[in-house]
Amino acid sequence: MSRLNELRDQLAAYAQRKHLSPAICDRWQAWQAEDQAALLAYAEELQLGENQLKDFLDWLEEIALRDETAIQAVLGQIEIRSALASPGSRHDKLKAVKTALRKMRYPRLTQLEASARAAVQALDLGRSVQISFPPAFEGDEITVTFRARNTSELQERLSRLQQRVDDGGFQHMFDVLDEV
Amino acid sequence: MTIYQPTEILIERGEEKTPVVQRALAKLPQTPVRIVEKDWERVGAQTERQAEDKDAFGAGKRRLFFTRQRSRFLEHCPAGTPGLVCCNYLVVSLISNCPMDCSYCFLQEYLANNPVLKVFTNVDDLLAEIAQVVDRQPWRQFRIGTGELSDSLALDHLLGFCSDLVPFFASRNNVLLELKTKSDCIDNLLSLDPQGRVVVSWTLTPAVIADAEEHGTASFTERLQAAQRVQQTGYKVGFHFDPLIEYPEWETGYQQTFERVFTTIDPRRVAWVSLGSLRLTPTLRKIMRQRFPRTRLLCGEEVLCADGKWRTFQALRVKMYRTLTAWLNELAPHVPVYMCMETAPVWRKVFGRSPMCDKDIARSLTAPNLGQQIAAP
Repeated sequence: MSRLNELRDQLAAYAQRKHLSPAICDRWQAWQAEDQAALLAYAEELQLGENQLKDFLDWLEEIALRDETAIQAVLGQIEIRSALASPGSRHDKLKAVKTALRKMRYPRLTQLEASARAAVQALDLGRSVQISFPPAFEGDEITVTFRARNTSELQERLSRLQQRVDDGGFQHMFDVLDEV
Repeated sequence: MTIYQPTEILIERGEEKTPVVQRALAKLPQTPVRIVEKDWERVGAQTERQAEDKDAFGAGKRRLFFTRQRSRFLEHCPAGTPGLVCCNYLVVSLISNCPMDCSYCFLQEYLANNPVLKVFTNVDDLLAEIAQVVDRQPWRQFRIGTGELSDSLALDHLLGFCSDLVPFFASRNNVLLELKTKSDCIDNLLSLDPQGRVVVSWTLTPAVIADAEEHGTASFTERLQAAQRVQQTGYKVGFHFDPLIEYPEWETGYQQTFERVFTTIDPRRVAWVSLGSLRLTPTLRKIMRQRFPRTRLLCGEEVLCADGKWRTFQALRVKMYRTLTAWLNELAPHVPVYMCMETAPVWRKVFGRSPMCDKDIARSLTAPNLGQQIAAP
């Protein structure tokens, strides 16, 4: 009982320090005590504020429900713990933990994002040509932007683009949009 | 299917003698009745609502309120959002709110502050309004549905609206009525002759999803048996696989569902099939989290789309659409298939083309149906 009280006090103190809304606190406190404590450890380490916590609450609840596991078990997975233990600033750790958690929450979407990045890299078009996919990969168009200071640069960009069309590099870009 | 039992019947003063009220009172003799003034919904209902339990939306479904519709009945389907391909569908609502309680239902947000299940008593005004529109344009083909703000049939055993609607549409040759349902309340339909002008359509999901998420509805088997009976009576039927739910066993689940549908139902007399991805606004997600904390529907891989709704990310839902349309092509090759609330790029990826305009889809859905008198088997 005293451990529960202690946890409640720790959580209340954290909420006060971070000016968390009652809605966030209520949701967090509705969890099992072990789950509350597991997230509190991450929150303290990463100094999570209201918006970051909301993402954590959403993703953790959804992963736990989908995988039929406890939230503390999700936070105890090696990918998340490694991210927290990664070197760098608190901001770097936060980014690493969120990336790992998002990958766990959206495995196929993050795989698609990785494939898209790899496909752009494989085109090897240099910094003067930029390729972008539609927002959230919704759509069937890719945007190609390039800069040139004179006609020879323009010619060079165009011929590299043509080369990538001919060797199937661009086809792969369009294929990525349907990759799952 | 859960039998609807209101906790209270509220009747706007002056509407007590209308046929629909009389029918309902005869069917629900034990339910307390209260006569309320014209402005009760705006004034009294809101005050009473505050005293209700935490799930005010759920409680509101059990208060049956009879009133007059004072605005227009006929509207364009709100699914016609800019940026999405529209099928030029019209809707009328004789009922606002639904006795069923699907976890994903948009009414939870759309009618969040609505404290009742509202039934409009002036069905004659509705029919007059439709007649005025469709009779003025005899060259145009219309599709009109009643399943936008409620289930078209779930309360028909109490309200009997079908006996007004079916003969009216049966007598016109440029309009189809669609009755959209997740119920098996078809008894009133069986004695009516639709003259080929009424499509009864069922929203279907694999049984495992229906059982978990579509609370108070008829089971998958009950819906299918009801569809078979109305088809045998001479109605055309339709099916809406909307929302499509992406879950670990979705391929097996939908394949078995399709096979059961098209071994039970004669595909030659299916008017249309629609497919539509699960789509949720951020507010609806929040409501679902509160009302249905164990729902798995919030665990999919969704992205926020340009219309402000979360959908399964495009590559995954295109895969689902392609898989499902391929099966439909095998099982029911002549049935028109369309997608609801999808973008032109998704249409191109699934069907190889997108409609030139909204009338394109409407034409493809009405052409095979109108002018064909459906012979009873």
